[in-house]
Amino acid sequence: MIHFTNVSKIYENHAALRDITFSIEKGEMAFITGPSGAGKSTLLKIIYLSEKPDEGSVTIAEWELSKLKESSIPFLRRNIGVVFQDFRLLDNRNVFDNIAMALRIRGMTEYEVKERVMEVLKTVNLRHKADSFPKTLSGGEQQRVVIARAIVGEPTVLLADEPTGNLDADTAAGITRMFKEINAKGTTVLVATHNKELFRNTGRRVLKIDNGTIVGEEMG
Amino acid sequence: MYILYSLRLAIQSVWHEKWINLLSVLTIAAGLFMITLTFFSVYNMDLATKKLPEKFSMMLYLNNDLSEQEVGNIMSTLKKNIAVERARYISKDKALEELKGVLKNADYVLEGINENPLPASIEVKLRQESVSISKVKKLAADIRKIKGIEEVEYGEQFLNSIHSIKAGAQTLGLLMISVMSTGVIFVCYSTVKIMFYRRKEEIETFKLLGATRGFIRAPFVIEGGILGIGGGVVSLIGTMALYYTLFYKLALTMPIFKIIVFPSEVFIALPFVGLALGVSGAVIALGRIRFS
Ligand SMILES: Nc1ncnc2c1ncn2[C@@H]1O[C@H](COP(=O)(O)OP(=O)(O)OP(=O)(O)O)[C@@H](O)[C@H]1O
Ligand SMILES: [Mg+2]
Repeated sequence: MIHFTNVSKIYENHAALRDITFSIEKGEMAFITGPSGAGKSTLLKIIYLSEKPDEGSVTIAEWELSKLKESSIPFLRRNIGVVFQDFRLLDNRNVFDNIAMALRIRGMTEYEVKERVMEVLKTVNLRHKADSFPKTLSGGEQQRVVIARAIVGEPTVLLADEPTGNLDADTAAGITRMFKEINAKGTTVLVATHNKELFRNTGRRVLKIDNGTIVGEEMG
Repeated sequence: MYILYSLRLAIQSVWHEKWINLLSVLTIAAGLFMITLTFFSVYNMDLATKKLPEKFSMMLYLNNDLSEQEVGNIMSTLKKNIAVERARYISKDKALEELKGVLKNADYVLEGINENPLPASIEVKLRQESVSISKVKKLAADIRKIKGIEEVEYGEQFLNSIHSIKAGAQTLGLLMISVMSTGVIFVCYSTVKIMFYRRKEEIETFKLLGATRGFIRAPFVIEGGILGIGGGVVSLIGTMALYYTLFYKLALTMPIFKIIVFPSEVFIALPFVGLALGVSGAVIALGRIRFS
C-alpha cells in the first residue's frame, strides 16, 4: 500500500530523511518510532503530499507520487485520513463542523454529513461535545476530534502522528484500541509515536527511525 | 455538489466582515456610477451629433445664364444621388424675395439696386447616414464637377469640428470606462485577497483534507460576485435617483434636461456588469492554487 524507495528529504542543509526504504502492506497496522526530530512527521508528510521528497520514489496504492498531477492530489488525499500532530482544528468552528469539513469538501449532502458525523462522534465518545468549540475541549478530547475527522471519510489509509501526545496511559490505550478496530475493518494504519507503550504487546511491526534513517525493525 | 456550502461560506464571510465589505460595495458603486455617467454622456453626445445633420444642407450656386432645361437636368442628376434627401431650386427672384423677407423693415439697403445681384441656387438636404466628413467631401467634389455649378458651399469647418469633438469624447469616454472598470476590479481583487489571507490557515487545512481548487475558490468567487452585484445595485439606485432628479425636478425649470436620453437597458445591465467585474477581481486575486 505504501512503498518508500531510497527516499531522502533535505531541509535547507539538514537531512530530515536519508535513504529510507520500507513498505507497508494493504490492511497492515504498523508503527514508526524514534526520538524527537528523528523524521517521523516528515515521513508522514511525504505520504500525504504535504512535503515532496528530494530523492527516491514513493508509491501509495498504484499512484507514483512524483508522477501525480497536481489536480489529482485532492482525490488521493481523500483516501488518506490524517491525525495531525498539531491537530489543525479550526478554532472558529465547532466540533461538528470541524469533522463535517472532511465530508463537505467531497460535496456530500448535509443530510449525509449529519448522519456520518453523528455516527463518528459516537465512536470517539464525543456526542455531547458536538456544539463545543475546540478551544474549550481538553487535550484528549481535541485529540479524539482530530481522529474522528480523520476516519469520518472512511479512508483506505489512516496516518496518525503522535496521536496520544500527552495523554494519560488509559486514554492512550483507548485510542490504540480504536485504531485496531479501524484496522480490523480493512484500513491500513500507520502510527508515528515516541511512546513505546502504544505498541507494546500489539504484535505489530515497528519501524525504528533515528536521525533520518531506519535503524531497525521489531515486533511490538 | 458543494456549491450550496460554498454559498453559505460566502454569505457568512460577507456578514462576518461586513464593514470591509460595505466599504468595498460603496467604492464599487461609485466606480460603476461614474462608468454609467460617462456612458450616458458619450451616448447623449453621439445622439446629439446625429441629430445635428438633420439641419445639415449644402448650397450649390449656379452659373448666371442657365436655361430652365439645364437647371432641370442638374436637379434630376442631384435627385438620383442616394446621398441627397431633397433638393430645392431657388431662382434669382426667389432668392431676392427671401432676402427681402429676412431684412423686413431694413429693406432700404436694397434700394438703388437695379439688377438682382443674387445667384440662383439649389439647396440640397443630405440623408443623415451620409453626413460623415469623407462622404460629404466626396459628394461636394462630385457635385462641383456638374456643369453649370459655380460653387458648392457647406459647413466644412463645422462638420470637421463636430466629428473631432465626437471622436475625442468617445476616446475619452472609453478611456474613462476602462480606467474605472480596472478600478472596480482592483477593489474586488483587494477585498477578496484580504479575505483569502485571513483564512489562509483554514484553507491549508481544507487542502490537506482533500479539498479541490473549485471548493477552495468557490466561496471567494461568490463573495466577489456578491460585492459586484451589491455595488451594481447601489449604483443603480444612484443612477435612478439622478434620472429622477433630472427629469422630474430640474427639467421643470430647465427644459434642456428633457433632451437627455437614458437607455433603460443600462439600468438592468448594472448589476450584471458589477457581477462580471467582481468575479474577475476575485479570480485574479485567487490566482493559481497549489497543493504541494
Ligand atoms: N519545515 C521545516 N524546515 C526546516 N527543518 C524542518 C522542517 N520540518 C522539520 N524539520 C527538521 O527535520 C527534522 C525532522 O523533523 P520531524 O518533524 O520529522 O521530526 P519528528 O520525528 O516528527 O519529531 P517529534 O517527535 O518531535 O514530532 C527535525 O530536525 C526538524 O527540525
Ligand atoms: Mg513529529
